[in-house]
Amino acid sequence: MNTAERLVLAGDRKTGQSVRSENVTAVSAIANIVKSSLGPVGLDKMLVDETGETTITNDGATILKLLDIQHPAAKLLAQIADQQDYEVGDGTTSVVIFAAELLKGAEELVRQKIHPNSIIAGYTLACKEAIKYIRSALTIPTAEINRDSIINAAKTSMSSKIINMHAEFFAEMVVDAATMVKFSDPKGIERYPIKSINILKANGKSAKETQLIKGYALNCMLADHQMKKKITKAKIACIDFSLQKTKMKMGVHVIVDDPEKLQAIRQRESDITKERVNKILASGANVILTTGGIDDLNTKYLVDAGCMGVRRVLKKDLKRIAKASGATIVSSLSNMEGDEVFDASSLGQAETVEQERISDDELIIITGTKKQSCCSIIVRGANYFMCDEIERSVHDALCVVKRVFESKSLLCGGGAVEAALSIFLENYADSMSSREQVAVAKFAQCLQVIPKTLAINAALDASELVSKLRAFHNESQINEGRAHFKYCGLDLSKGCIRDQKNAGVFEPTKIKTKSLKLATEAATTILRIDDSINLHPTEGKQKSYSDALAAGELDG
Amino acid sequence: MTAGNAAAPAKAPVGKLGEGAFKDKEKPTHIRMSNIEAAKAVADAVRTSLGPKGMDKMIKDDKGNVTITNDGATILQRMKVLHPAARMLVELSKAQDIEAGDGTTTVVVVCGALLEAAKKLLSHGIHPTKISDAFQRAASEAFNVIETMKIEFDLSNKEAMMKACATSLSSKVINTHSLHMSELCSNAVLKVADPEKNSLDLKDIKIVAKVGGTLDDTELVDGLCLDSNAMGTTRRMEKAKVALIQFQLSPPKTDMENQVVINDYSQMDRVLKEERQYTLNLVKAIKKSGANVLLVQKSILRDAISDLAIHYLNKLKIMVIKDIERTDVPFICKTLGCHPVASADHFTPEALANVDLVEEISIGGESNCTKFTGIQNAGKTVSLLIRASNENLLAEADRSIHDALCVLRCLVKKRALVAGGGAVESELALKLGQRAKEIGGVDGYCLQRYAEAMEVVPYTLAENAALNPIEVVTELRKRHNAGENSAGINVRKAGVSDMQREDVLQPMLVSTSMITLATETVRSILKIDDIVNVVGRG
Repeated sequence: MNTAERLVLAGDRKTGQSVRSENVTAVSAIANIVKSSLGPVGLDKMLVDETGETTITNDGATILKLLDIQHPAAKLLAQIADQQDYEVGDGTTSVVIFAAELLKGAEELVRQKIHPNSIIAGYTLACKEAIKYIRSALTIPTAEINRDSIINAAKTSMSSKIINMHAEFFAEMVVDAATMVKFSDPKGIERYPIKSINILKANGKSAKETQLIKGYALNCMLADHQMKKKITKAKIACIDFSLQKTKMKMGVHVIVDDPEKLQAIRQRESDITKERVNKILASGANVILTTGGIDDLNTKYLVDAGCMGVRRVLKKDLKRIAKASGATIVSSLSNMEGDEVFDASSLGQAETVEQERISDDELIIITGTKKQSCCSIIVRGANYFMCDEIERSVHDALCVVKRVFESKSLLCGGGAVEAALSIFLENYADSMSSREQVAVAKFAQCLQVIPKTLAINAALDASELVSKLRAFHNESQINEGRAHFKYCGLDLSKGCIRDQKNAGVFEPTKIKTKSLKLATEAATTILRIDDSINLHPTEGKQKSYSDALAAGELDG
Repeated sequence: MTAGNAAAPAKAPVGKLGEGAFKDKEKPTHIRMSNIEAAKAVADAVRTSLGPKGMDKMIKDDKGNVTITNDGATILQRMKVLHPAARMLVELSKAQDIEAGDGTTTVVVVCGALLEAAKKLLSHGIHPTKISDAFQRAASEAFNVIETMKIEFDLSNKEAMMKACATSLSSKVINTHSLHMSELCSNAVLKVADPEKNSLDLKDIKIVAKVGGTLDDTELVDGLCLDSNAMGTTRRMEKAKVALIQFQLSPPKTDMENQVVINDYSQMDRVLKEERQYTLNLVKAIKKSGANVLLVQKSILRDAISDLAIHYLNKLKIMVIKDIERTDVPFICKTLGCHPVASADHFTPEALANVDLVEEISIGGESNCTKFTGIQNAGKTVSLLIRASNENLLAEADRSIHDALCVLRCLVKKRALVAGGGAVESELALKLGQRAKEIGGVDGYCLQRYAEAMEVVPYTLAENAALNPIEVVTELRKRHNAGENSAGINVRKAGVSDMQREDVLQPMLVSTSMITLATETVRSILKIDDIVNVVGRG
């Protein structure tokens, strides 16, 4: 009797080949979902969750995040997509497809009686060599990178998205936005904090009407329409408490026996806040932004003083504005003596603060902030799904632009890198004499999944195109005179091979290297698993020893 | 087999016995075999995880959380084994974890092999007690053999410590970083170990695990590292005076029944002002003592620190770190050499600790942590900050580092090393086999089986490393017979070589404790001849 079956658990257990196949099946299922979304002609998915919320996207990470994945190995794959998104921001679909392909390849090898450990060693080695080769041979020289190539990189990232029609337009905008927020950190390194680019969505008009605004756009309205719509040389007070009637705390009871006193107490309630407002105004502030509310009475004081008041500003917006304008967020007015004062030094400065009407919404736009410049992108689109998808695409493109600006390193897109690596690794495998050879060759073969899928999605003959592409790259690696063929990739609209460098299809190096690393890491993690134990949920009665005994599972 | 009776306890109670009484009884041989089988199944389950090329297990628990690990103790703890005899093996690995901290998979695998040997002996008609005694004797013989292989070691030998650490880490996911990690672990242990008393309290090494960055960024903080953010605007403090407070910096709440009654508008101002004044007084008391960094213990009764208090502390440029766990307080006090302050009245300068630099460092993820460096009158403690790019990896790194630290603790407890990579087990197989021939009789026969069972370790190591196990084990036998007692399996070079020269070393305590614990477990399983199954109520 096989002893492995005799292990009685409060759950199910699978071992060896069966768990490996199961993992591969689960992972492939996930990859198949996103497969058709890869590339410039990839299709979108419509995801409807249990509350009826709909998302339309072809961003790999977003799709996988919204799927409620149960299988642990598949979950791992969703995690790497997420990590790719977090660390580099783009290339999330390809990382998933590649990892799944690696696993499929590994399973074939295991069936041929190759030990998983040899495969793991081979994959790790191949990944290392591939990255080395990318860095040494495939990157485009830094000297050749200019603004155009960066715009091209942004275009490449957007080419697969819904906005590819306007890729040129958005690419310009994204690069402009990134340059606007650029600053040098204390060590003298240039930084592009794309987080300080505020992306707002407004439904209506077309995607082409999306605008980049120099300044911080705040999705709030003035507290009262009588307030001034525009203030130049603004002094901004950022406060983190409400300008409403002061209420007593819990546990404090107001008991009066004289009706006149009642009035006095009410009076006092509003006066406390009035004093606060006056103190802030006295310091010279002419714009007040608060995370809390401003009630009608206090609005009146502000209108009288010619001061703008904006209520219910999100804390994160307030923080960014404070940072950009040099203000300090004030959470309480009290000073070290326990009295209340407002210090003029905590005011921030900006050239103008203005309420503008953009589509149906009123926005407060703050420009010319004193400390740091900031900018906002207002996304327009025919419907909300569109706006959401544009926002995601713009975010991806921003990530790409940031990477290129910071690392100054580019690769050719459109399957060029994968094809080149595939040829390189096949030759490399042949030069090895150890048993990792087969695994390295498999890795090389798996790399072809990317150009293949690109071609399939474009409704082209994948086998023919990929072989052609490989022939070009083989030529470039054996024939020195034709080394420039290494930039060859697929032209998916015409269905032929072209030089991607001339065509301007670029990707940041980091996206490729990171996705190779992550995919290999995920594949090896899953390959190392040879046992899967799935414990039963604790709800209801647990399977106990006596149940197992009763079911005869312990019989010898 | 009477198991059928238990199938319907509710329908037909057996005889006149009520609930909570005897259910059924089985024949001793059958029980013994069933126990052995169940326990062996556990050993088989973890077998593939043994050694540097061991495979991982993926366990999804009842709440849906997934653990991927190859640490024997963790695997066994997570999978819910039902059979009581099998549970003994789970306990066994836990015991090894407590005793030695490493070799948790090996001990279970060896135990499984010994059970297999015992099963064969039983089928030859040898009485279980006889087998049990013979195994006990074999264990003490084994000690003598291990003693001959011992490599002396003393605490000044950091290189040897690093080697032992690297051996322990080699089987983990983080093995690519083993050099860096072993250096960190060795340094940490050397800092806190007490050479006089042969003791090492792992509680003196605080491990802070944070997502963000890579494993290479893992570092040893000479001082203190806290897993909390600074609250206010002050994020960095040089020449800090640190105070740890156990009272709350927020206005006291009135009890449910008590109420503050106001019947005049002027009193409203007073209430507001009093609240400010109360907080202000506390803050001023802190300022007066000279403290400029404040650690606030977590409070469940009310807010440990109110926004107002943070506002004041910001104004005074006092750095605040809140949510210090109660359990961390002794460690912090020991490290910084400060006293916790339980009330504002007891705020004296003596309770403060002087630290050169307190600084919040950003980790890349959402949360940060705070570092204290250059502590004056620092205690003998150290913090280890582990970083990794994702949760799974981080958890595994945490477990692996724990193992490595335990290995070092073994070395501090008992300062001797032995060669790893299956060398000890091969040598035991050889020497015990020879001894068996000298003894003769039933004892000798049992000892022979015991010796053979030891070969399961090199056999499995070879199998997991995709080598030919028969070839490797026979080669090992040959080498050991020729007197090379430190020959073992070299996974990297795919063959047999001298482990001592390859720097694969492990603490002797791991091996000895493995022998003792495995033998004892086998003996206790052998001695069971009945399972009484009591049906619980409900």
